[in-house]
Amino acid sequence: MQLISKNSLTNKMRKTANVNAALAAATCALLGTSAVVQADEGVWEMDAALLYYGETERVTAVEGVFSAKKNFGDEHVFSTKITADSLTGASASGAVAQPNAQTYTRPSGKGQYVVAAGEVPLDDTFHDTRLQLEAQWTQPLWNDMRGSTGVHLSKEYDYLSIAVNGSLAKDFNQKNTTVSAGLSLAYDTIDPEGGRPVAFSEMVIDEGQFANEEAYQAAFDATRQKDTDDKTTVDLMFGVTQIINRRMLMQFNYGLSMSDGYHTDPFKVLSVVNDQGLTQSLVHEDRPTQRTRHNFYWQTKYALDSGVADISYRYATDDWDINSHTIDSRFRFNLSDNTYIQPHFRYYQQSAAEFYQPFLLEGSSLPTFASADYRLGEMTAYTIGLKYGMTMPSGNEWAFRVEYYQQDPKNAGFDAPGVLQQLDLYPSVKAMIAQVSYSF
Amino acid sequence: MFKKARVILAFLISTQLVGCANLGVQPWERDLLAKEEMALDSEGIDLGLDDHIYFSKEATSGGRAFAGGGCGCN
Amino acid sequence: MRYFRLSMLIILISSTPLSLSFAQEIAAPDFAISNAQLPNKLSDLAGQVVYLDFWASWCKPCRQSFPWMNQMQRKYAAQGLQIIAINLDAESSLAKDFLDKVPAQIPVIYDPEGNIASDYQLIGMPSSYLIDKTGKVRFAHKGFFTHTEPLYEEELVLLLNE
Repeated sequence: MQLISKNSLTNKMRKTANVNAALAAATCALLGTSAVVQADEGVWEMDAALLYYGETERVTAVEGVFSAKKNFGDEHVFSTKITADSLTGASASGAVAQPNAQTYTRPSGKGQYVVAAGEVPLDDTFHDTRLQLEAQWTQPLWNDMRGSTGVHLSKEYDYLSIAVNGSLAKDFNQKNTTVSAGLSLAYDTIDPEGGRPVAFSEMVIDEGQFANEEAYQAAFDATRQKDTDDKTTVDLMFGVTQIINRRMLMQFNYGLSMSDGYHTDPFKVLSVVNDQGLTQSLVHEDRPTQRTRHNFYWQTKYALDSGVADISYRYATDDWDINSHTIDSRFRFNLSDNTYIQPHFRYYQQSAAEFYQPFLLEGSSLPTFASADYRLGEMTAYTIGLKYGMTMPSGNEWAFRVEYYQQDPKNAGFDAPGVLQQLDLYPSVKAMIAQVSYSF
Repeated sequence: MFKKARVILAFLISTQLVGCANLGVQPWERDLLAKEEMALDSEGIDLGLDDHIYFSKEATSGGRAFAGGGCGCN
Repeated sequence: MRYFRLSMLIILISSTPLSLSFAQEIAAPDFAISNAQLPNKLSDLAGQVVYLDFWASWCKPCRQSFPWMNQMQRKYAAQGLQIIAINLDAESSLAKDFLDKVPAQIPVIYDPEGNIASDYQLIGMPSSYLIDKTGKVRFAHKGFFTHTEPLYEEELVLLLNE
C-alpha cells in the first residue's frame, strides 16, 4: 500500500469493515465446497462471474470469481477457484449518533473524520482488496465411498487465512442415501494498520490538547498492542442427503465450529454516554477469545415439470448466545429449453450476542466483553431477487441476477437515555446486488 | 443447560434419518434428479458469493454441503 | 465424552457392509425384444455370449461406454458376441437425442417402464451383465469406468472361448 504522510487528514485509507467476519468467511466457506457430483470427462468446465454490491451511503464492493473444474476420468475431479474483491465506502463504527457533530480518530491513528449531527457514525472512506485461492480434489476411494480434500488461501492487506479440509462421503441404499463427514482447519493472522487496540481503551482524539505530534502519537500508541494476533478454527460437518422420490431430495446437515483466538474487530468502538445520552468518550470493543457454534441445516429440492423449487432452513446457535433462523428459497421456472427465470427470497433473523450493547453507560462498571457492532445485535434481514439465465447454441450459459438486501437491526431491550431517545440508533442497511455470470 | 439438551436432541434426530432405507427410487428412475439444476451444487458460484455477503453482514455462517443426489451414476 | 456419539456414528457408518451385486450363475431373466436386427427374445440368442448394457440419456458415464461397446462389438462379433444396449429413459425421445450425439453401432432396445431393469435387479447406473453361451449371468458390473475396460474385455474373451 502507498505511504501517506502522518498529517494527511484525507488520504490514509483504512478498512473498517468486518475483518472478523471476513476471517470467519474464509474458514466457513470451506466445508461447503467439496464432493463435486458430476463433471464431463476430459474437458474443463469454467465459470466466471462479476458481482457488484452497493449499500446506500455505505459499503460498495466489486467481486470477481473464476472457477474451473475437470474430471480426469472415472470421477477423479479437480476444481479450483480464484476470487478477487475490492471494498470501498463506510461502515458503522459502533458509536451512537449524537445531536451534535462528532470528531473521530481513524483506527490507524493517522487522521480524523467528522460525523454530522443526528447521523450514525460511519468510519469513513477506506479501500481494501482481497485475493482468495482455493483448490479441491475429489475421487472415489472404495466401493460407494468418495473422498475429497482441499486448500484455501485468503490474503488481504492486514490479514492472511490458510485452511485445509478433508471429507468423506458414502452412499447407501443404491445411492438413495449419502452420508458425509467433513473436517476443516483454518489458521488466520491479523495485523491491522495502527496495531490492535487495547480492550476498552479510549479512542484518542486530537482536539488540540497535545503539545506536539509526538505527544499525540505517544497517547495513541498507549492504546495499541503492537504484535499480530491469530485465530484457529476447527469445523466439523455431518450430512445426510436422501432421495425421497423421483422428484425430490432432501439434505440434513449438522455443523460444529470451534474457534479460538482474536475475535474482536479492531476497528469498532462503543460510545460511553452519560444519563443525558451525550457521548463522553469512545472505547474500543472487546469480544471473547472463544466461540463454539452449532448449525442445523435442512434443504429440499423438488423437480417441477419445468423447473426446480429449492427451499432450505437453517437454525444456528452458539455460546455467544446468538441464535438465528434462516429461510432461503429459490424457484426456477424454465421459460423454454434454454432460458429460465429464478426468483429468490431469503429471510434471516438473529438474536443479539450476550455481550452486545449499543452503548456503555458512564459510571456503570465495565463488562467483561462488549461490542456495539450491529452485526452481533438483534436483527432481521430479507433478500428478494431475480435471476435470468439463457443457454447459447454453443452450450455456454449467461446468467444475470439482481437482488435487494435489507437489514433491519432491532433494539435488543436497551433503554436509551436522554437525547438518544430522539435518535435512530438502529438504522436499516439497504443494499443492491447485481451479478453477471458466464459458464463455458 | 437446556440449550445443550436442544443441541444434542437436534443432532440425534438428524442421525436417525440414516435409517430411512425405504425411501428412494430405483437407479433407473433418477432422470429428473440427474438434471443439472437438481444438483446440490448447481449454482455454486452464486451460493459462494451470497455466502460471502451474508458472512460479512450477519453473525451466522455455513450450513450447506454438496454430497449426494444427482444421477447416482458410477 | 462430548464427541463419543459423533465418533461412534462415524465408525458405524464406515463399517456398513458393501452392497452386493446381482447373484452370479443365475439363468438370465428372459425378455421380449423388438428390434429388427435381433431375434424375438433373449433366450433365442443361446449359443452366443450376450453383453447387456442398461443405460439412459441422463447418465454421463454412458457417453464413455458407447465407444467402447461399439469397438467390442466390431472386434468380437465374428466370435459370437452380441452386445445389446437397453435404454431406460422414461421418454424415449431423449434417448434418440443422445444417440444423435453418441452414435451406437449396437442394437438398442427400449424399456421405458423399467421392467427388464427390475428383473435384473439393477443396483446402479449404468449396469451391465455378461451372459454366457448357456444363458447364465456370469458377470455383473455396476457403473462404467475407463480403467476397467481391459478387465471387461478379458471377461468377454473368457466367455467367448468356452
